Amino acid sequence: MEPLDEDAGLMLRYRDGDADAFSALYARNKGPLYRYLLRQVRNAGAAADLFQEVWSRLIATRARYEARAKFATYLFHIAHNCTMDFFRHDLRVQHRSRAHAADGESTEQEVPEHQRPDGIAEFAEQQSALLAAVARLPQEQREAFLLHEETGLTIEEIARVTAVGVETAKSRLRYAIRKLKNALVPAENLVERAPRKRALNGAVNGAELNAPT
Amino acid sequence: MHLPDDLDDYLRGDSALSRQYRRESAPMPPHALERRVLQDERGESEVARGAARSGGHGEKLPYLAPLAFAASVLLSLALVLASLFGPQPARHSDDAPRLVRTAAHVGLAQNATLNHRQHLYSSDPPHARARAAWLADIGALRHAGRNSEADAELRRFRSAYPEYAEAELKAVR
Repeated sequence: MEPLDEDAGLMLRYRDGDADAFSALYARNKGPLYRYLLRQVRNAGAAADLFQEVWSRLIATRARYEARAKFATYLFHIAHNCTMDFFRHDLRVQHRSRAHAADGESTEQEVPEHQRPDGIAEFAEQQSALLAAVARLPQEQREAFLLHEETGLTIEEIARVTAVGVETAKSRLRYAIRKLKNALVPAENLVERAPRKRALNGAVNGAELNAPT
Repeated sequence: MHLPDDLDDYLRGDSALSRQYRRESAPMPPHALERRVLQDERGESEVARGAARSGGHGEKLPYLAPLAFAASVLLSLALVLASLFGPQPARHSDDAPRLVRTAAHVGLAQNATLNHRQHLYSSDPPHARARAAWLADIGALRHAGRNSEADAELRRFRSAYPEYAEAELKAVR
């Protein structure tokens, strides 16, 4: 068993009826959790709903909590599940919208704003260069990066939270880092590198971040 | 693709990328959202505490359940013994006419006693009264001049004792 971290101790106290422990736990984790959700779903309203949902689930299931791992893996596993539910729901909405579009019906009311490409672009434009690049990462890579940055989880812990193999988690994080570094290369460097790249690939695609995971 | 340098450097925690990410704005949940979460928690805790109060006595007072069971057994046993060996309920003596007995007990005039007669006897089952006492009551009613009541009592007597010979009732008719 891994050694207990401070948050796990707080959660155990909360499980046993200490309401003050919840306040402390909440204060220590609200920021990372909120940023993870906000940057995952790229919409403040949806992030707020998910934030409340995550804490509600934690509160409702506190009696079953066992400190088997770092508390962040427990909290962010709940957050991961909530986020996946959110994306699955949106995927269903998108499929319905496409079906309606094929039938010649309007899709304006069906697609959530944060799922529209222009909505994502707008969200990214409001961020710094780095956060805009994070927003444009594929969801799995974005999640791996955010989990590491916001919680300090290791590759193994990220794999546990996201329910994938260690190698998969490592690969996702590696691609994320590479894409972010490339996106942050100063513009003059891109201009210098562009002819060489064009010569190699025949086309400039430095702005494209969507590579396989 | 294998990029060990990128990932290893990054995982050490002091990469330029991490430093830049930490310098970025760090939004926090809005206050209204925080209030909702904390209210949710307080509501859940109240429910949990209420459930513990109402359902947790068995844990707090574990001796209560066997004590209640023992008390029930003792009470049942006491009731059975009392019904078998306890004093029997006192029975009315049917040796003397009830009307006379009641009058002697309350010390009232005979007419006043007769006014209470229906209250005293109205719930008595017919066969619960001895014939002689009943006839004495009817006779007393006649003697007091309350013939309609005496007739009604006589009708009840006849329905209760249809085998009684009419000749024997002459005295109270």
